[in-house]
Amino acid sequence: MLSTFLSQIANGLVLGSLIALIALGYTMVYGIITLINFAHGEIFMVGAYGGLATLTYLMPTFIAQRWYFALPVVLVGGALISVLVAVAMERFAYRPLRNAPRLAPLITALGVSVALQEAVRVFYPGATAAIPFPNLFIEGTWIIPIGDGVPIRYTGILLIVVSLVLAFGLERFIERTRMGRAMRATSQDRDVARLMGVDPDRIIVLTFAIGGALAGVAGVLYGSYLNNINIDMGFQNGIFAFTAAVLGGIGNIRGAVIGGLVIGLVKALGGQYLPGGTAYDYVWIFVVLIIVLVFRPQGFFGETERVRA
Amino acid sequence: MDRKRTVVATAALLAGALALTACSTNRTETGGASSGSSCDTSKGTLVVGFVAPLSGGLSALGLGMKNSADLAVNQANQACKVPGYKLALQAEDDQATAQIAGQAATKLASDPKVVGVIGTLNSSTAQSVAPILAQKKIVEISPANTNPSLTQGDNPASPSRPNPTYFRVATTDAVQGPFAAQYLVGKAAKKNIAVIDDGKTYGAGLAAAFAAEAQKRGATVVAQEKVGEKDTDFSGVISKIRPLNPDAVYYGGEYPVAGPLSKQLAAAGLNVPLMGGDGIQDETYVSLGGREGDLATSVGAPADQLPSAKAFIDAYSAAGYKEPYSTYGALTYDATNVLISGLTTAVGSGTFSDTTRGALLTAVQDTNLDGASGKVSFDQYGDTTNKVLTIYSVQGGKFAPVESGEFQAS
Amino acid sequence: MTAVTEAPPASTPETAPPRHTGRLAGLLGALAPRARLLGIVGGVVAILGSQLPWATFVLNQGAYPELATLPFGFTGFRLHLVILGLATIVVAAVRVPAANRIVRNLGIGIVAVAVINGLYITVEGGGLGAITAADGAVAFGSVVALIGGVLAILGSAAGGVEPRPELDWNLPLWVEWLLLVVIFVLMLLVVAAALTSGGQGGVVNPYSGAVFLSFLGAAGGAFAGLNASGLLGYVATLSERHRVFSVIVLLIVALGLPLTSAGTEYWMTVASNIGVYAATAIGLNIVVGLAGLLDLGYVAFLGIGAFVAANLSGATASAVGIHLPFVLVMVISAVVAGIFGAIVGSPTLRVRGDYLAIVTLAFGEIFVRSAQNNIGGLTGGANAIPNIPAVAVGDFRFNESITIGSVQLPSGVMYYVLIVLLVAGVMLVFGNLKNSRLGRAWIAIREDEDAASAMGIRTGPIKILAFLLGATLAGLAGAFFAHKTGVVAYDSFRFLESVTLLSAVILGGMGTIPGAVLGASILFVLPEKLREFSDYRLLIFGLALVLIMRFRPQGIVADKHRRAELAEEPEDAAKEAPGPLPTRVEP
Repeated sequence: MLSTFLSQIANGLVLGSLIALIALGYTMVYGIITLINFAHGEIFMVGAYGGLATLTYLMPTFIAQRWYFALPVVLVGGALISVLVAVAMERFAYRPLRNAPRLAPLITALGVSVALQEAVRVFYPGATAAIPFPNLFIEGTWIIPIGDGVPIRYTGILLIVVSLVLAFGLERFIERTRMGRAMRATSQDRDVARLMGVDPDRIIVLTFAIGGALAGVAGVLYGSYLNNINIDMGFQNGIFAFTAAVLGGIGNIRGAVIGGLVIGLVKALGGQYLPGGTAYDYVWIFVVLIIVLVFRPQGFFGETERVRA
Repeated sequence: MDRKRTVVATAALLAGALALTACSTNRTETGGASSGSSCDTSKGTLVVGFVAPLSGGLSALGLGMKNSADLAVNQANQACKVPGYKLALQAEDDQATAQIAGQAATKLASDPKVVGVIGTLNSSTAQSVAPILAQKKIVEISPANTNPSLTQGDNPASPSRPNPTYFRVATTDAVQGPFAAQYLVGKAAKKNIAVIDDGKTYGAGLAAAFAAEAQKRGATVVAQEKVGEKDTDFSGVISKIRPLNPDAVYYGGEYPVAGPLSKQLAAAGLNVPLMGGDGIQDETYVSLGGREGDLATSVGAPADQLPSAKAFIDAYSAAGYKEPYSTYGALTYDATNVLISGLTTAVGSGTFSDTTRGALLTAVQDTNLDGASGKVSFDQYGDTTNKVLTIYSVQGGKFAPVESGEFQAS
Repeated sequence: MTAVTEAPPASTPETAPPRHTGRLAGLLGALAPRARLLGIVGGVVAILGSQLPWATFVLNQGAYPELATLPFGFTGFRLHLVILGLATIVVAAVRVPAANRIVRNLGIGIVAVAVINGLYITVEGGGLGAITAADGAVAFGSVVALIGGVLAILGSAAGGVEPRPELDWNLPLWVEWLLLVVIFVLMLLVVAAALTSGGQGGVVNPYSGAVFLSFLGAAGGAFAGLNASGLLGYVATLSERHRVFSVIVLLIVALGLPLTSAGTEYWMTVASNIGVYAATAIGLNIVVGLAGLLDLGYVAFLGIGAFVAANLSGATASAVGIHLPFVLVMVISAVVAGIFGAIVGSPTLRVRGDYLAIVTLAFGEIFVRSAQNNIGGLTGGANAIPNIPAVAVGDFRFNESITIGSVQLPSGVMYYVLIVLLVAGVMLVFGNLKNSRLGRAWIAIREDEDAASAMGIRTGPIKILAFLLGATLAGLAGAFFAHKTGVVAYDSFRFLESVTLLSAVILGGMGTIPGAVLGASILFVLPEKLREFSDYRLLIFGLALVLIMRFRPQGIVADKHRRAELAEEPEDAAKEAPGPLPTRVEP
């Protein structure tokens, strides 16, 4: 039974690091403009389709067949599409509502979410059902020899590594660079930041762009790991990611990553050991969400509402 | 209102002067609207209603059904199947919810030109559609509903038909699940089977029927799990069943989930065949991750032994529809043809009116048709009597028939 | 209620000096002296356009309505154009107060009719040749009508659009009452005409969507014209003055819908569904519109009510299997839903704003998932709970048609009556709550929770009460839903349905009484009438949400008594504005 437990831990970590990548976008946007960008999950979905489009329509077979060429190109393609959509979304849907009461942008986000999902369904060829997505990494499974063996796919390992590296890089970027400092300043007080020579609009666009890029990468890796994508993947994983961001203390980079991993583990272990089995594994995530929001709304790491961008 | 009159008069005069060149004031329009066929359509148009999800997540299945029904209607028009009438398909979206389906059914039912309705996809929508149509004596033929209570009533011990105008060409869970179990436990000699379903009517019912029969035949059902109908990550379920060492997995649900599930099973080191119902017997299944040796049951004899099935597939691809015919295409095509041939019998050389509905109902009840899915006829509950099923297995990237047989309950 | 005083000076009818900037300025300035003439010419040209042929050939799908390839005709959209054109001419010639504003709105109506019909013919005909000249035939009807509309709009812009006059005549009581009755009956007839315009659609009637949209355009233009003249405002004042009378007349008029052309079984069913969602939306309006607590899982309460009712309906598939009278079932459903409402609302004690929205979303998802997994055997899981018997009083079942004297009413009419009464009751509850102590407490919490708390409002219980009451109303609607639809399945209560409900509230106008009903009606009628766009339904829906938030966040019926949750907040606006603080004082 130990190997089952460890297998579920491995599953949880893979799913968790994916959710962490998406959660980073949530947490950054919330940190800067205190907006729950409900449509962020759809950016993740669009990234997966964008990556697939790059692979199917733009790439010569020679490149597409060699993963070490294809993977970076598809990652960039997916990220690029996600960035474009995220920035357009900020510019046309959210920016005009910057000073509106808080319900307005949230409802707009719902609208954007529905519209993006439907746009892909209607306009992407074959998107009415799940679409196959090729594995863009080394095919195969590493079976860790404990008990009956703990299988973990190489693509899963790639997902974990990429997530951690990107999260670490993002944290360094925010802490060490001029841009990062401007982001932190904007999140603390937009007006003061403006006085200090920071253009808040540019910083907000940058935040959406970074969040979008991370989501796009997550989308491509997700497709590559699970080998199929559908238009509903954004909504579900988006909610998980939001939960992760809250869990870790919204606005907190490290918190988002740990929150993501916790969510992944709750789903995997809850489906295994809690009553109701896999049929109720989502329910446990939502239960965790409610409990956290009610009893510790600032999350694990949130000392105040905004710690940093 | 002299003023108004003068204004109207001047305007009309001006318009008339300008429009003089256009044409005469003969109040009938000419030209256009050519039907493109040489049939006699002097008696007008009759409408074949259709209700299925055409928007939202299930639209892939719904649109495939719509196209297949459209194909059948077009072919009937070309062949002048109903003398004196042109047939037209009116497709209504039910958004996969019961109340919208009820609205669509009411709309169709209030149109005297509607001769019958093809649909629905979901059993829950059928539950609201069938009574509405039954009240108006309109025939409904479903290609996809699998819930036994639709034809046999709520009490399986003493079946009674709740909706006298409701028929279905789809087999119920009570046929397909056990047939699969007979093969998997008997011929394929699998004794430890994990059963997974997607929690929807079709999948859950199928899985339950399979599990019951499998246990009766001496197999152990090592696990019964559920996955979300929109899930793509099944690692949790797979890790859970892996230590139980199943030698086969039965999945109740459709190919968008089954394909990736099969692939992920193998990736986790569980190299056992996955079996499912007609919901996974789709060409996309393999491209989504279905493996060699995976099994599926399907209603009717295999397509290459059945010229009518091949004819349907050829005609469908020739018609150039945007969406694939998907899981229920052939059955929808059959359902539509059942309705049309019933109409041919009922109308004959006469005209269609409300009094024809009784004759149409009798004609449909007495259907005996070689369809794309095999022989179609109905029992006293409106269920298909076609109990010929075929086991398919993935070979060389395609579903190939393994054996066909008539289902016998045991 | 006292008579409304004369309009404030700021809005007395006067010809505002035209102020135009940019390149258009020169043109409009030059046209200013001929503004009146332009209006008249625009009207004449529009009428002229209506009498020209609109299509050069009979379309492949079937002939376009109103014999579009032939000139002359006073039916359908041609008649609408003639009426709009005549009205334009008369208004421009006679110079009634706010003439330019009226002419502009009528012009917009003309443009809408011309564009909608022209576009349909162009698309169906496969090119611009279909509305201009092809194969030796000429049409140009839509082009000419469009020019007419644009001329009218140009003329009104050149003349300067005046503010809307506020009319108030004091007439004898019986005249005012009579006027209200006549107007409400007219409204009913217009609604019935809009619903039935273009027929039921379908294959034999491919242009029903076009006819419907064209009717909407024409009616919208006419309505906007009336509004610009101040007449609608007068009617509103009038109905406000005789509030109780208006409400009673409105109720009677609504019950009269089955007697109009919309009195078919189909529209009765649609109207019943609208009623269910309207009642639920009003409940949601308490939570969101009054108390300002965003609920993204609200449809779960409708679901709970429906499942409770299904279990108590005597349906064979239900686990409980007892059969109670419908009235009792409604009460129990409402109570159970209310209890769940209080439970879902309890986190509001600690969670605010966006976080609360997410908590409610989580509850909604838990409900759907549990219902799908047939929790406790109460929901039927994937098989749903089918064959719920219709409501019956004695031997009469509500889904049968009834005949009174020589009038045969369509089946489903009793459900319609029931839901109208239900919605009316719910509106009554909402109206009273809104103006009560409790309602003011909710509004106070919405505007500033901390301040409300400091003023001695016990915010916690009062917020939970909002959830409880809202959920109760949804539970009532759910009981009706179960019996009318005859089957209750988990997939009727997904997240998207919650978003739809929320959109109904927002579209109609948050916190207003008619808003939720109006919003629900629009969200149901449009997809029914425009089924040819069903593939794009959700896409349009999503984009519409974004656009509404951008351009009219207060909804169609803006709540005038207070700044709505979604209206611009003056403090923020002031903070961002570079100029001096606005000095406008709220009365």
